[in-house]
Formats: sequence, C-alpha cells, structure tokens
Amino acid sequence: MPSVSTMQGEAQPPCQVTCPIHQDVRGYIVAVARGEFSEASKLIMETNPLPSVCGMICAHPCETKCRRGQVDEPLSIMALKRFVVEHADHGSPKLQGESEQGQKVAIIGSGPSGLTAAHDLAKMGHKVTVFEHENAPGGALRSGIPKYRLPREVLQRDLEAIIALGVEIKTNTELGKDLTIGGLKNQGYRAILISTGLPLSRGLRVPGIELDGVLLALPFLREVNLDRQKIQVGKRVIVIGGGNVAIDVARSALRLGAGRVHMVCLEAREEMPSFPWEIEAALEEGVQIYCSKGPKSILGKDGQVTGLECMRCTAVFDAEGRFNPSFDKGEVSVIDGDMVIIAIGQASDLSFLKDSAIKLNEGGQLLLDADTLATSEEGIFASGEVATGPGSAVEAMANGRKAALSIARYLTGRPLAVAPPAEIELGELSPQIIDKIKRLPKQQMPALAVPERVQNFVQVELGYDRASAVREARRCLSCGLGTEYIEEECSTCLTCVRICPYGVPIITASGSVDIRVDQCQACGICVNECPAKAVILKQYQDEEVIERITTAIANASRSGVRPLTVVFWCSFSAYATGDFAEFVRTKCPSNIGILTIPCVTKIGIIHLLKAFELGADKVFVVGCPEEYCPYKESTSWARRKVDRAKKILDDVGLGAERLEMFNLPNVDIEQEEVLFKITQPAKQTQPDPLNG
Amino acid sequence: MIVGKQKPLPEIREMIADYGNILILGCGTCATVCFAGGEREVDILASSLGIAAKLEGKERVTTKHTVKRQCEWEFLDEIEEKVKQADAVLSLGCGVGVQAIAERFPEIPVLPGLDTLFMGMPVEEGVWVERCVGCGNCILNQTGGICPIARCPKGLINGPCGGYRDGKCEVDPTRDCAWVLIYERLKKMGRLDMLHTSQPLKDYSKMGHPRSITR
Repeated sequence: MPSVSTMQGEAQPPCQVTCPIHQDVRGYIVAVARGEFSEASKLIMETNPLPSVCGMICAHPCETKCRRGQVDEPLSIMALKRFVVEHADHGSPKLQGESEQGQKVAIIGSGPSGLTAAHDLAKMGHKVTVFEHENAPGGALRSGIPKYRLPREVLQRDLEAIIALGVEIKTNTELGKDLTIGGLKNQGYRAILISTGLPLSRGLRVPGIELDGVLLALPFLREVNLDRQKIQVGKRVIVIGGGNVAIDVARSALRLGAGRVHMVCLEAREEMPSFPWEIEAALEEGVQIYCSKGPKSILGKDGQVTGLECMRCTAVFDAEGRFNPSFDKGEVSVIDGDMVIIAIGQASDLSFLKDSAIKLNEGGQLLLDADTLATSEEGIFASGEVATGPGSAVEAMANGRKAALSIARYLTGRPLAVAPPAEIELGELSPQIIDKIKRLPKQQMPALAVPERVQNFVQVELGYDRASAVREARRCLSCGLGTEYIEEECSTCLTCVRICPYGVPIITASGSVDIRVDQCQACGICVNECPAKAVILKQYQDEEVIERITTAIANASRSGVRPLTVVFWCSFSAYATGDFAEFVRTKCPSNIGILTIPCVTKIGIIHLLKAFELGADKVFVVGCPEEYCPYKESTSWARRKVDRAKKILDDVGLGAERLEMFNLPNVDIEQEEVLFKITQPAKQTQPDPLNG
Repeated sequence: MIVGKQKPLPEIREMIADYGNILILGCGTCATVCFAGGEREVDILASSLGIAAKLEGKERVTTKHTVKRQCEWEFLDEIEEKVKQADAVLSLGCGVGVQAIAERFPEIPVLPGLDTLFMGMPVEEGVWVERCVGCGNCILNQTGGICPIARCPKGLINGPCGGYRDGKCEVDPTRDCAWVLIYERLKKMGRLDMLHTSQPLKDYSKMGHPRSITR
C-alpha cells in the first residue's frame, strides 16, 4: 500500500504545520489506524531523529492544534508515536558510508539540538563528532528530565540509531577545558556547531540564600538523574518556580522521600509556564502548589533552612508585557520547610568563549544570524537553547535541523540563507460540520497508581496496547486526506451534495460543486456513489484496491484449498481486536485472503464483482459495530453496495449467497469467532465455476 | 433531464448474445445523473457481463468508454476507433443517444442498454419523478405550475376526476391527485378564481411526431 505521506503543494493538516520538525503526523496516525505499524514507523523516522524520546516527553503542540479537539478531545499523538516506537518493526538502522563530499563537523553538546544536527549531517554523508561534557550523551534529556518521564533505555535506543549512522560521540569532553574552538579547527573540523543548551540555574537574591538546604534546580536534577550520589532531600521541600523544571524537581523530590513538597510560583495557576499535564500529574502525586507568591526571604535557624517567607505577587508582567513582577509586600505568609530548591530559570554558560573572537549581543548571548544560525565567526554555528533561549526539546531539534542545513550549505560552498518553503495550513472545521462528526472518546493512557509512582523513578505512563492504539488512531479526522474532486469529470448530479452525512459538498456560486477538502471527513461514501467517478479518495483508489484483491486471491489460491474466500475486513475493527497481522499469518486458513479496508464505506460494487471475476468462490464484508465506526451511516451505505452486487450475482447466475456482509457484534470479539462466521458458510459454498 | 433505467441484466445478456466484442458506451449527462449509464455503471456492467460470459464459457471482449453526451455527433468522434474494433455498441444513453450513434456509425449495431422513461427530476436522493411530457403547448401558467398532463394518469386538463379519494389518485392511491395539488397551490396563491374558467380542448397535434425546431 502506498504511503499516505505528505502530498506536496496541498494545504497541510495543523498537526504537521505546528510540529517544529514537521512530522507527517497524519500519515503515521492513519497508518496506525490501518494497523500498518511498520509504515507508521517509517514515516516517523523520516523526519524524527529522536522518536523514542519524542514519544514520551514531546511538548506535542500538534495535539493543541489537532482538529479533533474542535469536536471532542485532541488525539493522543505523542502516545501513538510511543506506541509505534515500542511495537513496530523498524528494520535495522542504515549504516552511513562516508560520502566523497563528507566533511568533518564538530558538534558541542549532545542534547536534542546537537543530536538532530548530528543525525541530519551524518545522513548527508558528513563525518560528525559530538562532544559531550557529561559522562553519557543526551544533554538535558539525560541530566534534566527525570527517569519517570523518560527511561534511560528509551534515550539509549535513539542514541544507538544515531550512532549507527556513523556519528561519533565523545563524552567527558568539555569545551573550554578539554577542547577549544581553535583546537577543533586545527583538528580539521570544517564546521562547528555550538549546542550547549542552558546548563546554569538562575539563582535568587533574597536573604537566607546562603543557608544550608538551599539548592539550585539543575545541579539537583543532574545529581538525581545522573545517579551521581544518593541525594538526601528534606522532609518538607519547597520548590520555587512554576515551570517544567520546577515540576520535575518537585516530583523528583517526592520520589526521593520528601514527605511534603510545596511549590511556590509568581504566576496564577492559569499563567504557570509548565505544561498543564505536568501540573496535573504533580497535583495527583500530592505536590501542593502555591500560586501568586514571590519569595521574600528564606528563613533559617542555626544556618539551616526552616521555611520560606513569601509575599503576594499581584502581577507577573508589567503593562508592556515584560516580566516585571509586582508584589503586595503587606501580604506575607510563611511556608515551613527544611529544603528550598530554586527553579526559576536557566542560563547559558558561554565561559568557553572568553578567548574567542565569537561576538556576543547586547544581552550577553551569542550574536547569531537568525536565518542561518551562523555566529560572527565563519564556519561556527549555534543551535538549540543556547541560541534561542528556553524552549521545548522538539523546538531545539528543529533548530538543530536548521543549523544542519546551514552547515551543509556552508560545507558545499552554497549561500547559507534559503527561504523556508511556504506552508499552507488547512482551515478550521466549520461549526456545522463539527456538529455532525461522531464523538469518539479518547483512549485513556494507562498509568501507575499514585502510591506506586511516588516510591520510585519508574515510568508513570504505561503506553497503549495494540487495541487502544488503533482505537485512538482511528479518531484521526484525516484532515485534508479525504476526497479529491475532479471537476471536469463531474456531471453536477449533486449526489454528493445530497448524501454526504456531514454536508461537506456545496454548490458554488458558478453552479459547480465544491467538495471542501478542509472539511471532508474521508468516509468515502460519495466516492462510490458518484456515478461519474468524479470523486476519488486520496488514500484508497480503485487501482490499489483491485491490485490488493488480485494479490489476496493469488495468495489464497496457492493453497489449492476451496472455497477460495476473500474477506474485506474493516481495518479499524480488525486491528482493534488484537494482533491482527499475527492472526492472519498464523491462524487464518490459507484459502482465505483478507484485505483490510479503512471502513466498509470505501468498498465499491466494482471491488466486490472484481473479487468474483478474479476467481473468488465466496466474498465476505466485515464491518465494525455501527456505534464503534468513526463514520456515520457506514453500514447502510455498504449494505446498499452489497445488495446491488448480490442482485448482479443472481442475474449472472453465480448466486447471491456467495456474498455476505456482517458487522462485528462488538469490538472485543475474538478473531477466531469472526473466522468461524466466515469459514462455516464458506464450507457450504460450491467452487466458483469461473475458477474451474 | 431525461430519466432512464438500465435494462435488466438478463435482457442485456440476451441482446448481446451474438456479439463477441462489445463497446459499452456510457453517457456523461442525463444517464449519469439518473444512475443509469455513467462511467461507474459502465464499469459495473462490464464486470457483470465479464462474469456472465465466463459462466457461459464464452469469449467476450468488452471495451468501456463514456462520452460527454451521446446525443451530440461531435462528442461521438472520439469513439470512432473503438467502434471500428467492436462488433456492437451497447449504449447506456437514452434513446436519443442510441439513435445518434446509429446515425453516426451506420455500419455497426447499436443496442439500447437503457429503457428511456421520462423527463423528470429527482425529488429525493435516488428517486426521480416525471414532470413533463413535452406536449408542445404548455399551460403551466394556468395550473399553478403543476402539469396535469404529466402528473394526472388521465391527463385531464379540467380535473379532478370523480375518482380521487382523500387527495389521492384512483389509478395509484400512493400518488397525490395532480388536480388536488393544483387546487392547493392556487389556493396558496389566492388564485382559485383561475379554476372558474374551463380549459379549452388541448391541441394534441402539437405532440405529433416527429417534431423539430430550427433556430
């Protein structure tokens, strides 16, 4: 089956446009919905060098923009990516030979940005060495993100795939100490990428900062995450800050045995910069969050922290929208605690530049060309948080990719700046269409119970199994991947206008029909009803179906066993009932050829007749339970096709009984039970005289 | 539009029995719109006849094509080569189309795959009804826009007859009496007075066949 990857030149779904690395989200979700997990994996790997990592900790802006969110809840795209990474057969990573134009590139820092640039440049044939100052690669992914969110074997999986491309990673090598920019140039590195992230924690200037028990977030997390030593946390830990790092600190402190963890942040709850799902998880685990409070002083006794004195924060930003908190100093409260961890922001460490000619801007940050990420020194580039300031991992990856493209152009003597391709985003769903779309509940992510979670650093979210992944994926509206309307073929019969359950086709002012691509739900009803064949489905065309029927019959006839049976089986239910591929391979009798189809609405009369023409003795159409189908009116439209085909079979003398259609009674039905419904009637079928 | 219906498959099979190489020709206008002979129906019919031929043990070649309109000779030029290769053309156009093909390609048999039925319109998805018989002498201005010739089985121009019951036709009690519809419509328009005048005898000579017009 051909890939349903991006169609060039067309409006793109918002998930893809929003994704900083422009993953073909729709493509891989549709593949999961069809049960084609390897295809999904291929699509993910095409643009994502850290798929396992992104399947667990991505900020997933795609979900925020998912148009299913306009109907009920957005798809769990990140969880589906994780499912694919964990369940698909990815094949072995391709080893990259050095290309003739391959040049030596040094990348400083092995965080998401550096790794992405390394991956991309290696794939282009360059010889990439990544230098990491810690004892293991991953940058902030390893030192900053707790293991309960990102198990280290997951990170390792992605690292190994990158190393397999020929990327060399040198750990325990610190810029400014073990190597210098000048030294790297002398070693023959033609280009250098600085992607050192934001390794420093910002501190606070408040009384009591010097007390024992006051820690900075990043050193704390580094100690915890790199297993350097067993950290002794206090019994009552106070975390200052409201961002993702603060949450990581708070949840880690709980797991290290803090009896109570309080978070204090300037922002009101809805202003907190942390991801909402992280806040929810922290609250579930018992972290108490005090919003709209700023630290006044850290209280202590005998040199040891005893609490935090706070004042009410009346506004975080000033009238110009700049960070400039104002306080009501009269409203003071005290939170008791024996440890204070400050997580109020991060900073870059550019000390390695002290003897370098690389220029800084007025703010003391690297002076960069925003379009090319080139520094003031030729051949030296910067990407990731050191270049952009704080952001998400996937944003850092996108920035690393941008730098890799600049570096590649630099290495081959091409102009650095290239305008990014213009992207057109599909519009929003219209309210009338939204009203008509079936509501389908989101598949809940199984997770460890809270008491189990807070005892250790075991991963909290357990991941989808096959059935829940397929069920979740079939919620995808396949935005923009529905029908294609061929105006010159159209007879303007208005059938599509009359039958579309969603009201997508409309009559234009000029009297023609417009099947609005941005509103189409890809159910396929109009496709098989259009008498002029003026509507086709982008992802399920006649030629492809007939080819699959031919293959299914050829495979089934090899068994020499009759009756030769063809089953059109809705892929949404097929894969939701378990490991369907395994079932087909091991349990399905060899005289049965199965074609999975993304809903029985997509079957045309011609497909059914073709199966008989090609020699099938018996044909079944197996649909989902009606209430489970993502589309509307699917059974009745499929039934019409089956009934007409049955009439034809009678008329030609083959017999209507050779064609049967049934819907599964429920989605939890065993595949063997369905098989029984197929094999029993088929046994009574005489061989098709067409097949000798 | 012209509304037709595909002939039953057994009848088509009988009609083509003597021919080994058949061009199934669809029509992209009226026959497509009424689901009788568009490109999709051509596909289905070709496949059905293919199965039938195999069952009969016959060698039959079917070629498929659909033109914009069979009733325009210019649109038929594109099938000239295919027609030459065929033993017969099975037309899925209306009777006009069949005759146009016969005139354009006088040497080849043309078989009607449809029964042409009426001039009408779809009143709901998949349901077409007759609305006009082409009487050549339209009186819709006097009958509230409802044609008694086409819609009254008796074609009464001064109705209703005595047979209607509860607004339904005595010929087919599932159908509304055209004259009741006319009455209701004129009532809505406040023009029941129009019923006070009897219609003169209709000049059916204007329906005499064959008719033609010249621009």
